[in-house]
Amino acid sequence: MMVFTLAVVRQGAGDELKSLTLSMRLQESEWEVMRKRVLPGFERQCGCRVKASDIPPEGLAKILEAMARTGRMKIDVFAQDNMRLAELVESRLVQDLSTHERRIPPEVLSSMVEAGRFHGKLYFMPYRPNVQIAYYNGARFRQYGLKPPRSWEELREVARRLKEREGIGRVLFKGWGGTPTSTLLYEWILSAGGDPLSLMHPGTVRTFQFLQELWPDLSPDSRRAKWDTTNQFLAQESVYLAQNWPFGVRLLVKEYGKTEIKTYSGWRGPVREAHVVGGEVLGIPVGAPQTGLALDLIRYMQSREVQETFSSALAWPSIRGDGYGEVEAWMKPHFQAVMEALGHGVFRKNVPYWAEFERIINEAFIRTVVERQSVDEILNVLHKRLEAVKAGS
Amino acid sequence: MSFTNGWKPSKRALNVLFLAPLTVYLLGLTLSPVAYTIVLSFQDRASQDFPSLANYRAVLGHFQFSRALLNTLVITALGLSLELLFGLAMALALASRFLGRGWVRALMLIPLGVPTIVSAANMRYVFGTVGYLNEFLYRMGLIELPVDWGDGGFKTLLTVVVADMWKVTPLVMLILLAGLEAIPGELYEAASTDGASQWQKFRYVTLPLLKSSITMALIIRGIDAFRIFALPLTLVGRSAPVLSTYAYFEYLDYNNPYTSAAGATLLLLMILTAVVAYLKIVGTEEVLH
Repeated sequence: MMVFTLAVVRQGAGDELKSLTLSMRLQESEWEVMRKRVLPGFERQCGCRVKASDIPPEGLAKILEAMARTGRMKIDVFAQDNMRLAELVESRLVQDLSTHERRIPPEVLSSMVEAGRFHGKLYFMPYRPNVQIAYYNGARFRQYGLKPPRSWEELREVARRLKEREGIGRVLFKGWGGTPTSTLLYEWILSAGGDPLSLMHPGTVRTFQFLQELWPDLSPDSRRAKWDTTNQFLAQESVYLAQNWPFGVRLLVKEYGKTEIKTYSGWRGPVREAHVVGGEVLGIPVGAPQTGLALDLIRYMQSREVQETFSSALAWPSIRGDGYGEVEAWMKPHFQAVMEALGHGVFRKNVPYWAEFERIINEAFIRTVVERQSVDEILNVLHKRLEAVKAGS
Repeated sequence: MSFTNGWKPSKRALNVLFLAPLTVYLLGLTLSPVAYTIVLSFQDRASQDFPSLANYRAVLGHFQFSRALLNTLVITALGLSLELLFGLAMALALASRFLGRGWVRALMLIPLGVPTIVSAANMRYVFGTVGYLNEFLYRMGLIELPVDWGDGGFKTLLTVVVADMWKVTPLVMLILLAGLEAIPGELYEAASTDGASQWQKFRYVTLPLLKSSITMALIIRGIDAFRIFALPLTLVGRSAPVLSTYAYFEYLDYNNPYTSAAGATLLLLMILTAVVAYLKIVGTEEVLH
């Protein structure tokens, strides 16, 4: 399955203009901001035109590999999910950008740079971090005299009381499966002091035991919850508390008019508060025809002007400490939550067996939490399978 | 001077010429991807050995595969039965003459024109925990708490069947209606003369003569039902996996085209088996007829 849609081509550009091919995966509303407010500025600055293509993160490595094999690299710069970087590095599809690290503006948070470093070399540049925050329905919480939970114990209590009052669970866990579930599990396990990549670690076992206990009090919509449906459930008020990415703030408050939706960073586990830093980084493929222009585009994307556009128009968190200047007043408390969550941010380990890990941890979730099988027994079996995968990789 | 300079292509050459685009299309965009998928399913991901049954072992040993297989069979069997039942009832009703029949026929066909993804999104509003169905049942006093239609059990499969029925029963109706209208009226007149009741006319005239249409509807819908994809994906997600969504998740989430290909090949095998078995049982002459 390969979607390769030319999305942005500046009309009427002369043939003499240099062109730069950029690949990223965005939603339509995000593309609109990128097309109308971000890329034209760079085109004016460089006197070039940008051809943008929409390639899904899971397909990027295959496309780059095919282009590299034929010796005809057509992509100059790409944005990629920060959890799908290892395969690009291991397959030697990306350029080492270590010598350009000094071009990163000093205002960019140093923690954001580390996501792009592999084996001591910088292969990817920061451009868009992401972190999940907790959304809650302020009106419903007030109605039931509840406070947003700050710990697992408080979370358990809120879930129990909402279920007791309404007869149905109103707290959501993104249990759709795949990446939405594994990402959340990863940060919950870290909160319990566990090692997500070791299923028999006491913190990991504790997390699954806690989720198994919590599950009956959670919303039945949890099984259908991922990043997009979570917004829908919050908007329809079928759930009152859920973790999701910050892009939902603008959607819920501005488009659905749900001003009662409030946000905060979330809750801590038994050991600490931890939030997985997701998002995307920029990379330049080996053999890219316009490496110089690609580096200019990366620097432009890291500029204060562009980062402020991202935060104000798309509610994206910024890689810069000064990237929120244009944010409207109503959004400021939400960004406060984002900043607080980023303060507890943790990058996932980029391991070559990530896809298999996701498969195994999702199976653990379904079997222990949804189907309520023995946590110890299932994790023991799956732990051995994961260890075999690690050894094989 | 004529354009062809006197050259007249033979009928055979014209046939080849006209069939060439379709042949290229079928070979290039249908058969070769299918063949490639089958080849991929027999290739070991780690060692690249070929042929290998490693992908099939992985798929058959996966805890969700048997569930996906069972769900696919239940949705297909239940869906086909209900679609045939309702499609036949609708076709019989529309075969009789009444005022506004043309309008009713046109209205009945509207769901066919709705894209599957749109109908699935609409059905989410019906079967959501705060959906229309729960609201209706609550107002009727039949439930006190919302029913979780997507819990992964039988009622989840039922929501998929009902949502699919809404969209595709008109197609079954259309095929059966064409079959009904092809039955000569004289046969019913003769049956009436012999004193046959309405039920006897249906049992001994309509049903036997409708057999080829029913076969056609079953084959067309059966193949579709086996490879149902967008509807369960959108409506119930992973709580009720079917074979096609299983293969999709293997590729998309776990980045494994090899096991995805094995899942898809098993689905293809199931479809072929079902069609061949049905043709053996019913007889190919029914279809040819």
